[in-house]
Amino acid sequence: MTQYYFDHAASAPRRDEVADAMAPFQHGVVGNPSGTHRAARDARRALEEARDEVASFVGAKPAGVIFTAGGTESCHLAVTGVASHHRRTHATTTVVLSKVEHHAVLDAVGLLGRDHADVAARYVDVDAEGVLDLDSLRDALGADTALVSVMTANNETGVVQPLDGVASLVAELSPGAVTHTDAVAAAPWLDLRDVTAPIDMVSICAHKIGGPVNSGALILRRDVALEAVVPGGGQERGRRGGTVDVAAAVGLACAVRLTAKERDEVNERVARYQRQLCDGLATIDGCSLTAPGARRLAGTVHVTFEGLASDELLFLLDQGGVCAAAASSCSSGAGVASHVLDAMGVAPSRARGALRLSMGAETSQDDVDALLVILTSVVSRLRAEGAAR
Amino acid sequence: MNVLVAMSGGVDSSVTAGLLVEQGHDVVGATLKLWGGASDSGCCSVGDVDDARRVAQMLGIDHHVFNYTEEFERRVVEPFVAGHARGRSPNPCIECNRHIKFDLLFERARRLGFDAVATGHHARVLARGGQHFLVRGADDAKDQSYVLGYLREEQLAMLLLPIGTMQKSEVRAEAARLGLRTWDKPDSQDVCFIEASKGREAFLRSRIALTPAAIVDATTGESLGSTEVAELMTVGQRRGVAPARDGERRYVARVSIAERRVEVGRLEEIVKSRIDLDGDSLSFSHEALGDATAVLIQCSAHGRTQAATLHHDGARKWWLTLAQPARPVAAGQSVVLYRGDEPTIVAGAAIVLGR
Repeated sequence: MTQYYFDHAASAPRRDEVADAMAPFQHGVVGNPSGTHRAARDARRALEEARDEVASFVGAKPAGVIFTAGGTESCHLAVTGVASHHRRTHATTTVVLSKVEHHAVLDAVGLLGRDHADVAARYVDVDAEGVLDLDSLRDALGADTALVSVMTANNETGVVQPLDGVASLVAELSPGAVTHTDAVAAAPWLDLRDVTAPIDMVSICAHKIGGPVNSGALILRRDVALEAVVPGGGQERGRRGGTVDVAAAVGLACAVRLTAKERDEVNERVARYQRQLCDGLATIDGCSLTAPGARRLAGTVHVTFEGLASDELLFLLDQGGVCAAAASSCSSGAGVASHVLDAMGVAPSRARGALRLSMGAETSQDDVDALLVILTSVVSRLRAEGAAR
Repeated sequence: MNVLVAMSGGVDSSVTAGLLVEQGHDVVGATLKLWGGASDSGCCSVGDVDDARRVAQMLGIDHHVFNYTEEFERRVVEPFVAGHARGRSPNPCIECNRHIKFDLLFERARRLGFDAVATGHHARVLARGGQHFLVRGADDAKDQSYVLGYLREEQLAMLLLPIGTMQKSEVRAEAARLGLRTWDKPDSQDVCFIEASKGREAFLRSRIALTPAAIVDATTGESLGSTEVAELMTVGQRRGVAPARDGERRYVARVSIAERRVEVGRLEEIVKSRIDLDGDSLSFSHEALGDATAVLIQCSAHGRTQAATLHHDGARKWWLTLAQPARPVAAGQSVVLYRGDEPTIVAGAAIVLGR
């Protein structure tokens, strides 16, 4: 059966170039980059070349790049590393974050609040389009704010957040605070050198842009005081212990290089598909586009179907060869109620019928045409069988 | 046939899926995600989802997870809590089977184009004269026909219960033969949303205020101590009640949350020969039974079968008279009615009326 892949936001197809670039570091002797001999030096060179590329992808200095095992670890390090350091010299530590952050950020903050009475979290509202409410942010910021974390674009809806506005407010009201942005979802689409320019720390991961899983980075734009979550051998300037995975870093570097090179062409082409999908979906009974008025990533089309269940849509789409998702991916494989849609005030009867279609560099016109045909027939079949209760 | 197998992650449903695959059906496995809170037992935890998925992979079939947490909360957990708050004892497993598995899942299976749904229950479906009847499983000790008591013809016609003809030991042997990793997994015993390590009381306490009550002999007025949780005292139970001064055991005869009072009595004082049924809850598998029909009844998942007669006043009142007086059945429990002839066919079920 032909497969139509519309789940790039969960994981993008691995690029052949990435596999080729990683191959030399996955066979035979690969030196520990912390060592002193020839093999170690070779590994170290590859690692530092990778660091240069990752730094330039976000417009930071190489010394600011901390390689991590993926985006979740990167976000966790940003949140926990800054908050832990802040706690050492302050009586109270407040973390300000949006209600629509990825669980990598939400849960890191949740753990800190659970374990430390001196750590508090303030959650900033989004509007009905999923865009951060800057007035709500203004209310949340204070002198004791240690960290402000707002994602670059949302992983479920693709809604782009006003990072310039965030940075200005933080500079005005909490000048001592560190800013962080989870740019994992935005990385395939936006030029992070521009959009994250006013933010201190940026999280990215490789497998959303054609690289390997378990590979990502936290990039510091300035010398942020950060406590290692996992100390150890002093690697990554003492900010992340453990032998650095050279292959993973090289894979990430190759992926960011390809992404940056192709970004304009891919954006232009996929934005066209996005318009076609939105137009086509608008003709389907009971379908509404999420956040139609907000600026969204070109690759994401998020819709809800009144009265239908995501589980059933996904089942029949899967049978038709379409890979899609309800919300973000989760470990059990079951769709769970989306905190993002909840924060946007989407009615539960709509949120239960959520569908995220996410595209990428290799998405083709054929994919889009096939998707519209299959989805239209799936929805009309479910409508004919009687709506789910 | 296109068959959807409800896979809980346990050995019974794993073998169910394996046998149907061997029989040549197009099988898809589905695990229901029912409970989002803490759990360490029961049939649908995250570990069980993992087991079900791995079994499906080993059998080479597709596996999906269906999220019914909202519906489970609304139709099973909330009524369970509300029932206890009123001094009733609803059976959450029977409600889950009835409302989630055999209502929502069946409807979904139909919508998704399946010809049949299979589960790993120990019970059998007997096709006779164009109709389908639920019969006890071959393994007496494991029979689960009780929890399927509310099924009706339209569901039975679509239901496959391939392990209902087998003994549990045979199921485990089949699992081993099929190379399924769940072959030696212990049977689930507990309510899935209640942590075995913390118990029913801790769960209820997290949801409602619990009521302490005095325990009093209904006949003599003798005080027999007290309980911290009247909501957990069930009519007919002996556990938690101290023996009276005469050294004889006492059984719970009546629980009043409002009066903070648990009345107890000697076994011969509390036994009853009549069970009043909630007519609105009464469900017959096929045609309704008439007044004065001899039936066999079962009042809990592994309870004893008793001979009884079903009565109907022709209007809204339904009740059972027992051949032998027995410990009373708590309000909110379900009674499953079996026909007296062989094989033992389920005729219907109803909830015991509360006062």
